[in-house]
Amino acid sequence: MWMVNFRSPYGTRRLVLASVLLLLVVLFLLPNQSQGLLQYISNPLGQVISLPLQAISWIDNGISELWAGYVALQVVREENEQLRREMDLLRGQNSQLREAAAATERLKSLLQFKEQAASVMVAAQVIGRDATNSYRSVILNKGESDGVKPEMGVVTPVGVVGRVVKTTGATAVVLLVTDPNNAIAGLIQRTRDEGIVEGTHQGLARLKYIPLLSTVRDGDRVVTSGLVGGFPRGLPIGTIRRIDRSEGALFQSAELMPEVDMSRLEEVLVIQDPRGESSSAN
Amino acid sequence: MNVLIYSGLVLLLIPLQSTLLPHVIVWGVKPDAGLVAACFIGLIAGELRGMVVGLAIGWAMSLFSAGELWVSLVTKGGAGFCAGMMGRHLTRVSPSLMGIGVFAMSCLSGLMELFMLASLSESWWHVWSIILPQACFDALVAAGSYWVFSEWFVRERFAMSPRY
Repeated sequence: MWMVNFRSPYGTRRLVLASVLLLLVVLFLLPNQSQGLLQYISNPLGQVISLPLQAISWIDNGISELWAGYVALQVVREENEQLRREMDLLRGQNSQLREAAAATERLKSLLQFKEQAASVMVAAQVIGRDATNSYRSVILNKGESDGVKPEMGVVTPVGVVGRVVKTTGATAVVLLVTDPNNAIAGLIQRTRDEGIVEGTHQGLARLKYIPLLSTVRDGDRVVTSGLVGGFPRGLPIGTIRRIDRSEGALFQSAELMPEVDMSRLEEVLVIQDPRGESSSAN
Repeated sequence: MNVLIYSGLVLLLIPLQSTLLPHVIVWGVKPDAGLVAACFIGLIAGELRGMVVGLAIGWAMSLFSAGELWVSLVTKGGAGFCAGMMGRHLTRVSPSLMGIGVFAMSCLSGLMELFMLASLSESWWHVWSIILPQACFDALVAAGSYWVFSEWFVRERFAMSPRY
């Protein structure tokens, strides 16, 4: 029979309770001062926990690939044919874009524009999602030891994903652009009107503070403005699908469909050093 | 030995919560395995251990969440402590009672996070779409887990061991 003595000495119990209360008071009253110490203590803990996290993520990805590759074959054929059609379309667009790029190069050399320096990026894998239901975030397998710091922007080749909000030695937490607590400076590519992109509860994004005189319409693309935050100018955020104008409001807002499918994130790029846009000709 | 068990629990809880549980999302929420674990430990091992292990779970979970550290500490540590205190006054714990207790803890925990998070205009959406579904999910998981594991050790603990 398993018998356990659950009695604790009263002294130990009071000491532990007092220590916990003191810790909470310090955290609540001195958040900035305690942040550095907590970060120093949390780094090795984060490194230790990241090991089983990456192992289980690896197993999870393997099972998902096995299912998609061998069990779910019924959708593979239709998907293959659709992808072939899309590839043919993209080939045609590619050749047009090459022509446009060549013309742009000629014009740039004529106007003596400076070359825009490429951003310094580090690739990372998504190994998990937020541990709570209150935030929309993902966990990456790169952390402070890999040069990832808070406030760095995170993107994919398709568009903006979010920004880093927390790091440990081996992992980073990225708050997605669809989270209501996230705010990214954006601008409408066609009209050049600027606003703030925030997430919505429905898992989409909203561009707020658009001037009332703006000629924004459905289908307009929203990109990063590069004014603040860890993003260079011009990265796609989403496409406008509905505009909201209220009577008597000072600004209008627009609902965006993000470019990136947040439910299918696997690999991302963390922008370590965003560069500004080209300066004008002499 | 207990330290090793609790450490292993904390180490495995984070991959479970972050990597595996997202596959069982229902109505946009997943269960909070950390809260359920803290309640279990508080109920079985007493309020002190429940609080300390709850604090450890809260700390570890906050490293892999965009939320505030102290909110996580208070919710998980508080859940473990309260479960331990409630366990002092119970001689028989059924799965349904376990579920009700965890439902209440989860609601309290969610309301505390809401107090830190949302503006007043979004409060009702947060309660209806996240707090209540999560509390139901946590209660189901807790009741089911208790029903499975109680046959092994908990019945002896509540039926025969002295409380003090």
